[in-house]
Amino acid sequence: MDFSLLLDPYILTEVLVQGFVRGAMYALMAAGLSLIFGIMGVKNFGHGELFMLGAYAMFFVTVVLGWPWPVGIAVAAVALFIFGMLLERTLIDTLRRKAGRDWVLDAFILTIGILVVLQNLALILFGTSRRGVTSLIDGVLVWGPVIVSYERLMILGVASLVGLSLWAFIRFSSLGKAIRAASQNPEAAQTLGIDIRLIYTVTFGIGAALAGLAGGLLISIYPAHPTVGFEPVIKSLACVILGGLGNVPGAILAALLLGVIEAYSAFFMSAGWQNVITAGLVVLILIVRPSGLFSSSKVERA
Amino acid sequence: MGLEVKNIVAGYTREVPILNGVNLTAQDGRVTVILGPNGAGKSTLLKTIYGYLTPQEGEVLHDGKRIQDLKPNQMLGEGIAYLLQGHSVFPRMTVEENLELGGWIMRGDQKRMQTALDFVYARFPRLREKRSFLAGILSGGEQRMLEIARLTMTGPRTILLDEPSVGLMPSLVDEVYEEISKLKDERYTILMVDQNVRKSMSIADYVYALALGENRYEGPREEMEKKLDDIVREWI
Repeated sequence: MDFSLLLDPYILTEVLVQGFVRGAMYALMAAGLSLIFGIMGVKNFGHGELFMLGAYAMFFVTVVLGWPWPVGIAVAAVALFIFGMLLERTLIDTLRRKAGRDWVLDAFILTIGILVVLQNLALILFGTSRRGVTSLIDGVLVWGPVIVSYERLMILGVASLVGLSLWAFIRFSSLGKAIRAASQNPEAAQTLGIDIRLIYTVTFGIGAALAGLAGGLLISIYPAHPTVGFEPVIKSLACVILGGLGNVPGAILAALLLGVIEAYSAFFMSAGWQNVITAGLVVLILIVRPSGLFSSSKVERA
Repeated sequence: MGLEVKNIVAGYTREVPILNGVNLTAQDGRVTVILGPNGAGKSTLLKTIYGYLTPQEGEVLHDGKRIQDLKPNQMLGEGIAYLLQGHSVFPRMTVEENLELGGWIMRGDQKRMQTALDFVYARFPRLREKRSFLAGILSGGEQRMLEIARLTMTGPRTILLDEPSVGLMPSLVDEVYEEISKLKDERYTILMVDQNVRKSMSIADYVYALALGENRYEGPREEMEKKLDDIVREWI
C-alpha cells in the first residue's frame, strides 16, 4: 500500500467519484429496500432481480430500439414500478391475507422464491451473455488536475435528483404522508380512511422502480445478465442494516459511505478485499451499534 | 337512526365466536356505553362494527345503511370515526400533520381542510401552540386530545370510543370525559366501551352490559345506575 498516492488529486478524485457512483447505486437500491422494510416489514431478497430487469429494460430501449438513454432510464423505472405493484398485489398481498399473523417470515421465503424464478427466467429468455453499452455519454470534464467522465456525472446527477424527489414526495405529498402514517401506526391510519393495501402496493412499486432505475442507470458499469443483481442486493442490504432498519436517509448515507470505502479499499488493496471489508463493517457495526449507525434510540419494529 | 347492531356473531376464528348474537342500538346524538368484564367482547364488538372483523351472522346498520361488508378504511367516509384503544397518534409526525391525516379523505379540498383545522385549533388552543411539535413528544393527555381532535376533522356523525381513559393518570381522566361530554353537546352519536364504569355512566344516556359475548342488561342511565352494584358484583 502506497498511501502517498492519496495526495495525488487526480487519483483522489478518481477514486472518490468511483466511490460515489458505487454509493449512488447502493443508495438507490437501499432506499427502496429500506422503504419496503420500514412500511411492510418485508425484507425483499428479490430486490437484485428488479435491478436486473431494469438493466435489461435499459438495454432493450437504448440498444435494441436505439432510443436515447433518458428514455431508457424512464422506461426502466416505470416498467419496474408497474411490475413491482403487480408482484405485490398478486403474490405478497395474497400471502398477507392468507397467512395471517406470521406472514412477514413467509414473505421472506416468498421473496427468495421471486429471486430464483426471475433469475432463471432471465437465463432462459436472455441467456448468460452480458448485454450492456460501453458508455451512454462520451467525453470527460477536465477541471485543472481533476478529470471526471460526463457519464459518471450524469449517474451522480440522476441519482441525486431521484433521491431528492423521493424525499420531497415522502415529506410533502399527501400520499407520502399517508405512507409515513401507515409505517408508524397502520391500524390508526386505516381508521382515518387510508387504504393500507394500496399503500403497501404503491410502496413496493416505488422500491421496485428505484431498483429498476439503478439497473438502467448503471448499465455501462454493470451490463445486464441474469445474476447482475446479486452484488447490489447484498451490498444494499448491508447498507440498510448499517443505516438502521427502516431508516431511509440512514440507508442512503450508509450507501454513500460504503461506496467510498469500497472504492478506496479496491484501489489500495486487491479488489477481492472490498467484500471482506463490507462484511467486516456490518459485523463491527452490529456489535457496537446493534440498531444501526443512524438510528434514533427507539426500535419500534422488533 | 344512529347505529344498529343486529344479532351479531363474530370472532377471530370461525370455530370460536367471541360475540354470540349481540343486539345494540346507539341512538342519534346520544352517548351509548357498553360495560362488561374482561373477555365480554366489548372491544371485539367495536372492531366488528368498524370492519376489522367480518361477522358470521347478523347485520350492522348506520343510518339505515348496511355497513358490515365495508372495510375499516371506508368507515370514515360513511361518517363513522373510531378512537383505538391505547396510543394512536403518529409519533414522528407533527401535530398538524396528524390533524391533516385526520382529514385524509378530504385531501383534495384545501378550503375544507383549512376550515376543519381552524375549528379544531379554536377548540384545542394547546394543539395550535404545539402544531409544529412532533406528536410523540406531547404528554399523554395532549396526545389523547390530539387523537380526539383528529377524530372530528371530517365532521363524522358517529364516533366509536374504545377505552378512552385507559392508561392516563387520574388528573387527566376528568379532562378526557369533559371532552367527550363536549362531543355529546355537539350532538355526535357516541358508542363507547369503557372499564371506568362510574365515569362513563356519568355521561351516558343509555347503557348496555355484555357478558360472554351476549347482551346481559340494558337500560337508560338512571335505571342502570340503580342496578349497577348488582351488575358489577356479577363480574367478580
